[in-house]
Amino acid sequence: MLPATAVYHFPWELKPSAIAEGTSVRTFGRLTCYRPEDSTAILSSHHASIKYQVSVQTSCVEPFNPLCGALYIVLGEIENTEEGSGVMLRARVMNCVDGVDLALLQKAINEQRSFFQKSGDNKGSTSG
Amino acid sequence: MEADQAASEDEPPSLLWGLDPVFSAFARLYIKDILLMRESRQVPGIYLYKSHPIFQVDILGTVVFKREREDFYSYGVDDGTGVINCLCWKAAKWKEPEESFKAGGRAASSSSAAGPSGGFNIEEQLRRLRQAQRGASMLEIGDLLRVRGSVKTSRGQREIMSSNFYKVSDPVMALQISWMQELPQLYRRCYQKPFPLSDGEPGTSATTAGGQPSFSSLLGRATQTLRDFLREKEVRRFRPYDVEHLLLPLVPQLPPLTGSEQASAAGPSVPSHTRHLLSETLRILQQEGTLFRRVLSQDELYHVTEQDKDLLMAIRDVIQQDSKRQKYAEKGCHILHILSSVRRRYSQSLSREALEVALRFLESSSDIISTSNCHYTVV
Repeated sequence: MLPATAVYHFPWELKPSAIAEGTSVRTFGRLTCYRPEDSTAILSSHHASIKYQVSVQTSCVEPFNPLCGALYIVLGEIENTEEGSGVMLRARVMNCVDGVDLALLQKAINEQRSFFQKSGDNKGSTSG
Repeated sequence: MEADQAASEDEPPSLLWGLDPVFSAFARLYIKDILLMRESRQVPGIYLYKSHPIFQVDILGTVVFKREREDFYSYGVDDGTGVINCLCWKAAKWKEPEESFKAGGRAASSSSAAGPSGGFNIEEQLRRLRQAQRGASMLEIGDLLRVRGSVKTSRGQREIMSSNFYKVSDPVMALQISWMQELPQLYRRCYQKPFPLSDGEPGTSATTAGGQPSFSSLLGRATQTLRDFLREKEVRRFRPYDVEHLLLPLVPQLPPLTGSEQASAAGPSVPSHTRHLLSETLRILQQEGTLFRRVLSQDELYHVTEQDKDLLMAIRDVIQQDSKRQKYAEKGCHILHILSSVRRRYSQSLSREALEVALRFLESSSDIISTSNCHYTVV
């Protein structure tokens, strides 16, 4: 009844090979293109001088006020596209977070991940 | 499996839970930890995270599921580690705005039409305030929600029964980022550290860092072992040396003393830390009321409250005889009156806790009935 947990992923981690179809993810990007007639949007981001793009199906979150160039956080399920050029995300939640400190957000996500990894290692090595 | 079993016995005794500051606080745990917490064997309704007793939590997450009922909202909250259902009760005052709005609207329009122009209309302002408050408690999917409440398990699902909830306005994710950075620190500093113990031998506390069980968890196990033994064997009375052998399986886990005293199960001499553990266990069980000593003398004879037929008969007689008197006929006898009568009749050193255990036992076997919180009468 409750939807699956949407774990934070960076846009450059969303490759068709890396993530299984149907996984719930949470990611971010700048809205560069929005086509209301198709209900699709493109979120772009930069990492290590490479531009990454994530296509988003926005039928479940419409109507929303699209601000081109603004940063958005999107929560949804992965659907692999036929083109094979990237992943498609079917959005359940789309929030504008323009003004967010992306570097700080990245740092916080990495801190959380390393914490989970360390607790996972500790659980494995000792009992309870 | 084995780790689970060992962990389930590793509970500190419920009497000491109040000493843990995490118990009184709204614990800020990850939702996945709230979902995986195991329920305490001693007190159902309280959950344990790494030997910390938890029953109140504080979460921040995105609403991904919403269901509205007449009296409450049920929001599914996702914080990136798990999704949990939160029951958020609607405040009674929110139900009225429909009628008061219509009445207020009419009054406002009539008074503003009749009253001086440009006046401060208090009803209008109150109405707007109520609407704003209502808006803060009505959320849609995608909103950020902060919930504080108690953890419950209903129909196999873990839920949070909220005592306090509100929509959080976080346009640049500042709060979410600081939450993500704060939680690992909280875990490292508080939640992942073992339950703090108030007393205990310096020797055992020094070895807890090395992975040995702490004294309080040992105490928890010892009290549970003794309780189970007394119940299964229907023991009426015993002396400490009768039950020492029950604690010996726990002894090898204690650090061996330097010197000649070594833990030997077959030997006549019992190491001093087993005796210390036994005396602490008996003290806790006495405080709870499970045991009592009828006569305080050199001879340490413990009576098991629920099995002591003489005590139960004395209590029943006191209540029966006094319920016939006009003074107590209607309302029943107060527990303190019963306590003083039974002390005169049976044992001067009977504690209130032991009496309460005996009264609960008599009530469950339908010999007496409680007319109010502290009054009892015969059936």
